[in-house]
Amino acid sequence: MKRIEIDPITRLEGHGKITIFLNDDGNVENAYLQIPELRGFEKFVEGLPVEEIPRVVPRICGV
Amino acid sequence: MKLKLGIYWGAACGGCDVAILDTHEKILDIADKVDIFLWPCAMDFKYDDVKKMKDGYLDAALYSGAIRNSENEEIALLLRRKSKIMIAVGSCAHIGGIPGLANCYTRDEVLKRVYIESESTINEEGIIPEEAWSNDDESLELPRFYNTVKTLDQVVDVDYYLPGCPPVPMQIFSALSLIWNNKLPEKGSIIGAGEKALCDECPRKKDEKRISELKRIHEVIPDSEKCFLEQGIICLGPVTRSGCGARCINSGVACRGCYGPVEDVIDQGTKMISALASVIEAKEETEIERIMDSIPDPLRTFYRFSIPASILRRKKV
Repeated sequence: MKRIEIDPITRLEGHGKITIFLNDDGNVENAYLQIPELRGFEKFVEGLPVEEIPRVVPRICGV
Repeated sequence: MKLKLGIYWGAACGGCDVAILDTHEKILDIADKVDIFLWPCAMDFKYDDVKKMKDGYLDAALYSGAIRNSENEEIALLLRRKSKIMIAVGSCAHIGGIPGLANCYTRDEVLKRVYIESESTINEEGIIPEEAWSNDDESLELPRFYNTVKTLDQVVDVDYYLPGCPPVPMQIFSALSLIWNNKLPEKGSIIGAGEKALCDECPRKKDEKRISELKRIHEVIPDSEKCFLEQGIICLGPVTRSGCGARCINSGVACRGCYGPVEDVIDQGTKMISALASVIEAKEETEIERIMDSIPDPLRTFYRFSIPASILRRKKV
């Protein structure tokens, strides 16, 4: 099975990678979009004083 | 000959990349002076293109973002090898930045919250991303999610630091012009920022700092012309490097320290505690305790951007 990797995917905010598997006839058997990125805002904003949240979460995406 | 430049982001938001574009018409001057060979946010190059370059092929690499996973580290190592100069751009690469707040938790605590407990996630099987997956014909890999967020210079040798969250666009332009004008300072220097504290460029009126009460922003109607700290509102201006032009202050909010510590200070948070200690007006120990206890989240206030670069580094595990 042939494997094609597009790494990284570009011109977007964030990280991404596409892996495509071709069968013996050269057709796409499976394709996977992988997001190799996580920072964990869901965790590290917990318990933060509420007035500070608007100063932290804009850093989720700056694009 | 044009400079060969690579621009990359690790654990970042892309704000630094946008700040480069926010140089407005100066972007044309940049395009005149440099050719870009990697910039995932804005142009289509692949990691393989970089791997094929001779070592030292690039004149400079601008790396924004913290080191959060093994991919961030691998690309940092790759760019270090391919580039003559390595510049840490923005708070995340410089001192850890907002992603560095995750060092208050362990890797497993973060993964559990995000993939299992999150109110907006349906994951009945409780699947957590794995580093490797395979079946008979196919295999996939993901980068390793580290336990500890690191600064860029904790994984590669860094030549210069361009601080800020994000760096002020014109400071990026002046830092880049240091490269093409051959005016770069001594290795290890901070570029595109001031040497003194933010207070030095803060337009607010400063008088005597004597604080007997600390206030959260919703507990007062702040005087828009008077120093935040003198009003009892915590501001990291005294311990933060100047260079931003007091952006937050001019928007009516106190400084949280994104430009990193002032010259010769390693630990921004401890320096802030020390600064606060010298202006608190209280004689009795219980009174001092009462005032200090009124700070709701000292760790994430004094070290908002700098936990990975601080002497604390992370929560003990």
